[in-house]
Amino acid sequence: MSQQSDPKPTPNTSGDGWRVLSYLIGGILIYGGIGFGLDRWLGTQFLLPVGIVIGAGLTILMLHFRYGRS
Amino acid sequence: MIAGVSTEFIPPGPQSFETPPIFSGVEWFTKPVLVATLSVIVIIWFFYGASRKAAVVPGKLQFAGELGYNFVRNSIARDAIGSKDYMKYVPYLCGLFFFILLNNVAATIPLIQFPTFSHIGWAYVAAIMSWVIYNAVGIKKKGLWGYFKHQTMPAGVPLWLMPLMIPIEFISNILVRPISLSLRLFANMFAGHILLLVFVLGGEYMILHSGSIAIGGVGIVTLLMALAIAGLELFVQCIQAYIFVVLTAQYIGSAIADEH
Repeated sequence: MSQQSDPKPTPNTSGDGWRVLSYLIGGILIYGGIGFGLDRWLGTQFLLPVGIVIGAGLTILMLHFRYGRS
Repeated sequence: MIAGVSTEFIPPGPQSFETPPIFSGVEWFTKPVLVATLSVIVIIWFFYGASRKAAVVPGKLQFAGELGYNFVRNSIARDAIGSKDYMKYVPYLCGLFFFILLNNVAATIPLIQFPTFSHIGWAYVAAIMSWVIYNAVGIKKKGLWGYFKHQTMPAGVPLWLMPLMIPIEFISNILVRPISLSLRLFANMFAGHILLLVFVLGGEYMILHSGSIAIGGVGIVTLLMALAIAGLELFVQCIQAYIFVVLTAQYIGSAIADEH
């Protein structure tokens, strides 16, 4: 069982969906968190949902660049 | 309210997972510890037996051992890490896969019937171990700053968008990954076990304590459903062991990948 005799491997993509999910959670967490912090700081109430939407949108954009082109 | 009900039905809940010590006085030796210890003994026995009399024409045990090992080696480790430097990680991935698999399937084995990873501490430790390993191999290969850059600069994103993407990449690669690894495993095992408990205990209660033939009939159907769910759970247990190891391998692969 030498490494040379191995057939050419096909990339295992069975975890990609879960990785995409962790990107989505991460994007919403960070930009939602920024919105939440700004809300607390400025005394406003609309920045948390705005941050969540921006985070989700940016994450989808990034997933497009990352997975959508190959 | 049903006539003739004498005792209240106590639904299963998180308290169903509170395992008392098996021997009084030995506080740490609970059921999950017992199941995990047994699983390690079985794994060692299995692979020792499979490799002890390794022959060119394999026997049954050796064949089964090679089948399991080759599955992790080829379709998880090599395909996710790449054929250049995957061999280093095969022992860890193989051990991890069979440890999680046996501890999950323990929820289905009669008389044991307890998934170790339904106690979240076990899932945390497994995820932290994978987290430390993929970060460590990445830092070892690229240096601290190089690895940090590698994990925070997403590929293919135009330069003007970079500042907005770096926080997302950092959070999802460093923080969300270990949390989602552990929570996915824990929640699947916990929910599957509690679902089975609801159907089995509910069916038993309806048959024995409802005092009504019609409800007893429903109880029989409930027990049959429990059987079907047990089959589904066996599938989920295998899938969860597989996905945990596949993701670990992919994280290692992306941490040491040259191009990004």
